[in-house]
Amino acid sequence: MATAFKYVGRSYPAPDALRKASGELLYGSDLRLPGMLYARLVLSPHAHAAVGAIDTKAALSVPGVVGVYSYHDAPSTPYCRYRIVPGQAGCIDDEMLFASTARFVGDRVAAVVASSLEAASEAARLIEVVYTQLPPVFGADAALESGATRVHPGGNLVHQFDHATGEPAALPAGAVTTCTAVHTQMLHHAAIEPHTCLANFDASGKLTIYSPCQSVYGARTVVADLLGLAYNRVRVVKVPTGGSFGGKQEFILEPVTAYLAMQTGRPVSLTLDREECIRATTVRPEQRSVVRSAVRADGVLLSLEVDTLLAAGAYAGSSPDYAQAMAHKLTRLYRVGRYRHRGRVAYTNAPVAGGMRGWGAPDVATCAEIHMDQIARRLGLDPFDLRLRNLVHPGDIDPITGRSVGEARVRECLERGAEAFGWRERAAMPAGPGRIRRAVGLACGAHKNGILSGAFPDVCTMTLKMNEDGSLDLNASIHEVGAASVVTLKTIIAEELDVAPETISAREADSETSPYDFGCFGSRMTYVCGAGARALAAKLRDRLIAAAAELLQISPMILEAVNGRVRRIGVAGSDLSYPEIVRGSRMRHARDMIVTHTYKGTSNPGSYCVQFAQVEVDVLTGLTRVIRMLTAVDIGRAINRGMVEGQCRGAIQAGIGSALCEEVVLDGAGRAGTGGFKNYHLVNAADMPPVTVLLVEHDGDDGPYGAKSVGEIATVPTAAAIVNAVNRALGTAMTTLPLTPERIVAALGKVAEVAEVAEVAEVAEVGGWDASCS
Amino acid sequence: MQLSTVLNGRQVSLDIAPDARLIDVLRNELELTGTKEGCAEGECGACTVVIDGVAVNACLVLAAQVQGKSVLTVEGLASAGHANALQRKFVELGAIQCGFCTPGMLMSATALLARNSKPSHDEIRRALAGNLCRCTGYAAIIEAVAAAADEGGSAQ
Repeated sequence: MATAFKYVGRSYPAPDALRKASGELLYGSDLRLPGMLYARLVLSPHAHAAVGAIDTKAALSVPGVVGVYSYHDAPSTPYCRYRIVPGQAGCIDDEMLFASTARFVGDRVAAVVASSLEAASEAARLIEVVYTQLPPVFGADAALESGATRVHPGGNLVHQFDHATGEPAALPAGAVTTCTAVHTQMLHHAAIEPHTCLANFDASGKLTIYSPCQSVYGARTVVADLLGLAYNRVRVVKVPTGGSFGGKQEFILEPVTAYLAMQTGRPVSLTLDREECIRATTVRPEQRSVVRSAVRADGVLLSLEVDTLLAAGAYAGSSPDYAQAMAHKLTRLYRVGRYRHRGRVAYTNAPVAGGMRGWGAPDVATCAEIHMDQIARRLGLDPFDLRLRNLVHPGDIDPITGRSVGEARVRECLERGAEAFGWRERAAMPAGPGRIRRAVGLACGAHKNGILSGAFPDVCTMTLKMNEDGSLDLNASIHEVGAASVVTLKTIIAEELDVAPETISAREADSETSPYDFGCFGSRMTYVCGAGARALAAKLRDRLIAAAAELLQISPMILEAVNGRVRRIGVAGSDLSYPEIVRGSRMRHARDMIVTHTYKGTSNPGSYCVQFAQVEVDVLTGLTRVIRMLTAVDIGRAINRGMVEGQCRGAIQAGIGSALCEEVVLDGAGRAGTGGFKNYHLVNAADMPPVTVLLVEHDGDDGPYGAKSVGEIATVPTAAAIVNAVNRALGTAMTTLPLTPERIVAALGKVAEVAEVAEVAEVAEVGGWDASCS
Repeated sequence: MQLSTVLNGRQVSLDIAPDARLIDVLRNELELTGTKEGCAEGECGACTVVIDGVAVNACLVLAAQVQGKSVLTVEGLASAGHANALQRKFVELGAIQCGFCTPGMLMSATALLARNSKPSHDEIRRALAGNLCRCTGYAAIIEAVAAAADEGGSAQ
């Protein structure tokens, strides 16, 4: 069944791994240009305030200070940080380079540019801004109440939708309805590299931006449109990214850094500190969803309805699309006759929400999978059996999009995962009566492969050139963010051309020299760009065969490419090496071995993951330890096995954090991130449980060699699996994340009849539009 | 003030501000940008260097505090351009993804192996507890340190 691969499926180091280990690789904040200046931002200390006079006298007298900029001088053109393609539908232009009305603690009010970071920092402290405070509004529900403070003049409702499929039907006898309200929190992406950008505006009028972004063409769109430059006068160079997880996918620092470079005519470097990263970039949105279902007595789902209320924070950014994404996950996970998802997105005076790993999929899976466990408890079913009764089968049509879920192997993930984890045996063990309660939980998740939807160009163009020695240069707009995408593409090309991966070189994106790619979004790198790379390499192979046929004066139909050579099919010793073909064809026929290919995504099957967690909860302190996890991923094909496993484990590290300890908390004045990592707890090496990775591999989808996405899907079910385990250990029905010790201790005080709890779960915390189970 | 220290095995002498942080002197004055800054408060460990055998966050010490001491940064691990065992194992075993935490991880591991040539997995986890990684889930990093120890530690 399994095809034998020469290079696909082995483990390769990340690109530049040696230079990362030697300290030699230069990240954005390591770059120095002659005459470079340093910028510091002045951020609003108020959640909502009109910005008045700005006294810059003291700041300008600091030696080395070149200039201070604010809305008093800068253009007031509104823009959208999320506009990847020109004219992108759904983008709301509500942000300015510098705010005239500060809408959250962390809003950009001014910037100082100086010859040293010290001078810039000191001057930033000396700037005196006159603020007129306005009443702030926190929480999406409060923001949508009538009479609420308006964050923007047009009101606080940013976006709403109502998607439905199937008709409501009368419930059969014995059917059970359940309602669960779930709250997920603002999260910080916590890439270890803080946000950074370097820009230079040269005498010829060309702007060059060095950024660890996820789309050079997207950064170009936002900056060129805002500053009125032609697209070929804005060059965006992708520099190494010290982690993103979506935190660097929107164009936050590029516009302001570019503006400062244009104003000063010198290179300007801007790097945020950790508190600024938490406060003033983006967060995973805070959302509350109410999930209602009707289930037959045997556990078959009849209907599923979700109402989501999501806080965009101070600017709309990607939140409308993010909320929409939440509505496109559950119908590719479960067979359900009736599905309805209503969503509302509201402005608040909170940090700006943005895309984060999984893009709505973890958020909605957390809600739905906590809900599924509550159904299981009410019906007395094993959570495993309830899932297996309802999960999609390969080839099912997603009723929301009308597209196939593809070779969906989520049932196999569940079954094989449960067996490897020992689900039945572990689930049968009592939690125990003592101080330490132990239990297991599981959850399923679905995500996507690319952005095939009609709204975006799911397109990449690549060029591949073979040199006279047979070495290859791939020119593509690759955005390497820590998932070894560069290596994935090289491995695919190596497999297709039957050459060693080391003979291929590939650079990252540069909008001036590398052809178009939409960017590193939507779990599309391997599935779409990888398929593009495979088609590109096949094109070059065909060209090599045609050139060899011409040189040998025989038909190409009887030639094949094997082991870096072209030969008569099955005839050893009849061949030309790739270098002989490159040299000969150029000399004799004036042909070059260079091909360009534009690939467009053709499908968008589901990616799937099922996870199993075992936890220990200390009922005295409320502290939870995850002691073991298993993740079963419908990967299709692992191209770079070691990196796939790394992605799976890293995804669980983040998911444990979102279940138990990570939260961007606002104080009463709307301040987030005070104290940086001191008050934002990531799971460290000592607390990380052992993780078993189980990859389900198969053919059948359009990705290269069957490969599907992994980086996002692998974090989708994590939080729900852990929450379900904790609720099973304690007999609780906690639905507000994260499950901090305080929340656990509080919940233990009010453990009630499970059925009742399921009905009234945390209603008190959820008010307003359809945000309760009443 | 004048700072004299042994940096990566070589005697270094330079003029510094008395209130300069070690990380700034390393990165800006000495152009050793391998030491990364992730939080400036000693929580993430990206700036870890080894001072007289002890892993220290370079964002939390003044450069003046290393007067007369021996400082090792990630740039000092390789000899004559050859990666040492720790660096090689990090590369080979997939312990590096985005790579931003890597220098700090390597330096904490270097200090560990210098005082404990055969650490258990638990000892490795504890030694790396002050170094945050958002990419790998730590397993490959722990394996790499263990594998380097099996090969005789970081000195080779």
